[in-house]
Amino acid sequence: MRNTKDFFRCAGLALALFAYLTLFFGAEDEWSIAAYVLLGVGGVIALVSFGALPAIERLIQANERACQALMIAGTLGIIAVFREDHYTLFLLGTIFVYSAAVLGINVQLGYAGVINFSGASFFGIGGYTAAVFLQNTPAPPLLTLLLGGIFSAVIGSILLFPVLRTSGHYSALVTMAFALLLKVFLEVSEWLGGPQGLALPSLKFLGIDFAEDLVIMGNEYSFYVKYDLACLLLLIMTFTFAQRIERSWMGLAMDAVRIDETAAACFGISVTRWKITAFTMGNFVIGVAGALYSMMLSYINPSNFTFSDSLLFLSILLLGGIGSLWGVIAATAFMVVIPEKFQIIQEYRYLIYSAMVLMMIVFRPSGLLPRKPRRYIAGGPL
Amino acid sequence: MRFGGLTALDRLDLDIDEGDILGLVGPNGSGKTTFFNVVTGIYRPTGGQVVFDGWDITGFSPQAIFEAGISRTFQRSRLCLELSIFDNIMLGNFKTRDLGICGNIFRRRAFHKTCAEEIEKAVELIRLLNPALVGSIHRPVADLSMIDRRRIEICRALIGKPKLLFLDEPSAGMTHDETNQLMDEILSMKSDERRLTIVLIEHEMGIIGKVTTRCAVLNFGEKLCDGTYRSIVGNPLVQEAYLGREVTEDEV
Ligand SMILES: Nc1ncnc2c1ncn2[C@@H]1O[C@H](COP(=O)(O)OP(=O)(O)OP(=O)(O)O)[C@@H](O)[C@H]1O
Ligand SMILES: [Mg+2]
Repeated sequence: MRNTKDFFRCAGLALALFAYLTLFFGAEDEWSIAAYVLLGVGGVIALVSFGALPAIERLIQANERACQALMIAGTLGIIAVFREDHYTLFLLGTIFVYSAAVLGINVQLGYAGVINFSGASFFGIGGYTAAVFLQNTPAPPLLTLLLGGIFSAVIGSILLFPVLRTSGHYSALVTMAFALLLKVFLEVSEWLGGPQGLALPSLKFLGIDFAEDLVIMGNEYSFYVKYDLACLLLLIMTFTFAQRIERSWMGLAMDAVRIDETAAACFGISVTRWKITAFTMGNFVIGVAGALYSMMLSYINPSNFTFSDSLLFLSILLLGGIGSLWGVIAATAFMVVIPEKFQIIQEYRYLIYSAMVLMMIVFRPSGLLPRKPRRYIAGGPL
Repeated sequence: MRFGGLTALDRLDLDIDEGDILGLVGPNGSGKTTFFNVVTGIYRPTGGQVVFDGWDITGFSPQAIFEAGISRTFQRSRLCLELSIFDNIMLGNFKTRDLGICGNIFRRRAFHKTCAEEIEKAVELIRLLNPALVGSIHRPVADLSMIDRRRIEICRALIGKPKLLFLDEPSAGMTHDETNQLMDEILSMKSDERRLTIVLIEHEMGIIGKVTTRCAVLNFGEKLCDGTYRSIVGNPLVQEAYLGREVTEDEV
């Protein structure tokens, strides 16, 4: 922290942001929602046209730690405001879990350039793993989260050989084929419940049952508060993990492999090794996120993770800015909340997603919040 | 080295001594870059042998060859444009900083220390070539001029302390003055590192004469001749390759 003045500036910005988000999440009828969307867009346009953006950017970069703390505090504040509202809390949890999963895709595609069109499949593998272990073994739920990640990473390694052997469109096709195969397999597998899927017991940890309503001093709050906290914790851990990868020699090696494989190899950087590392780490993260999400839903079936969900993951990454961690979170929030809030456009959601992604590619190819040059130390020199 | 029906390198027999600066010249398409690509492992030769430091390194991967101590720059600059100057230089020293997942992600304090050391090293090297860049090592390479990009490429090739350095037309795309300046910098750097061996591809014969201790001339993938600069410019075979042959009256 440079000085207290800076801190208050950051706090002011965070307050404005979260006040806006609270109003937005609280809005019920379509007219007020539309008004808030316009307000948000107007606010951003005003900031841009007053030229305030570079100053804000500098402020945030110089006070990175404080800003991250403020973001967490603000999110906790929103959870507290909606403590009795199942629906909003569920949306928030979904945003956290999806963000974590897309951060996994970001390690693969954003850092090492490994395309993965089966993100949702690994999400599902995490969920099914948790379900199978919880139903058939006395494994503690927290362990099954880890197992979800491990299984997803291990099953992903089947894909490694064809993905590494091919490049570009061909490896994209390999992952697509895998997604379709997995879906068909799950739909016909009796043992895994076929199209009906499996039910999951709730997450239990330290004697706390996450499916029971939260009781504090005699007041009852939605059980989703607990799940939201768990999901937020997962997101924070994933974010830190992805950020540390970026700010290390590993991130540098992955970038080099993505940008120019031949040049990277000429400087002793193993293309295969870093692609494997990124793909496996990404699948692990996606698997854990999938396991937690299906516990929150309390069931899992093949239609929870269709090919369109894989496309959604990739669209979020494109919209937020490939490689940009904050971009991922902002874009996830946007993609998850907008169709939920505007029920009338639900049916057209994929049409709207694709229109947005196309517009993004044409008008702002680096995304909503483009990736910044690497700095190895938080708030370090630039 | 053959590409389909085309023989790009044929009967090329070239010895390079430690500490030399060898100039590699030849008309366009004579196989100079292909020679670099074969030695550094980008192409697997269809025949022949590459021996470095007493080791047969024929057909090794580019990675293994780099680890053996051969580094290079590229004819068409191959920097990672969106990455910073420091990042690009650091790529050349990645092998000495392979900390594993634990060292990179969990032991951040130790990592910050290695990071500071590496920045120090990169700055030292940049200072030799262009002190003006020292202040902006966290800026993306895309902002730099052509000559500065070449300098960064040379820094990237040097930071890993190679034994043998290949420079593929470092003067491509630069003015005459810039070229002279860059060559002076390379010479002064070489005077600090006596054991470093350099192979330099260059079209301008004046530069070759000034910089190199020995030269070799390639034509259609074959070595025409090698020796000192003086001996090769006087060689009629070389003049013929570059300028064409005078047609004698009989042939007309
Ligand atoms: N990957 C490749 N596939 C097919 N042919 C190639 C390949 N690389 C080089 N060649 C051919 O090999 C020959 C030698 O090319 P090379 O690039 O080595 O020439 P050079 O001496 O570096 O020329 P310049 O002075 O223009 O850089 C050329 O005829 C070129 O077309
Ligand atoms: Mg060439």
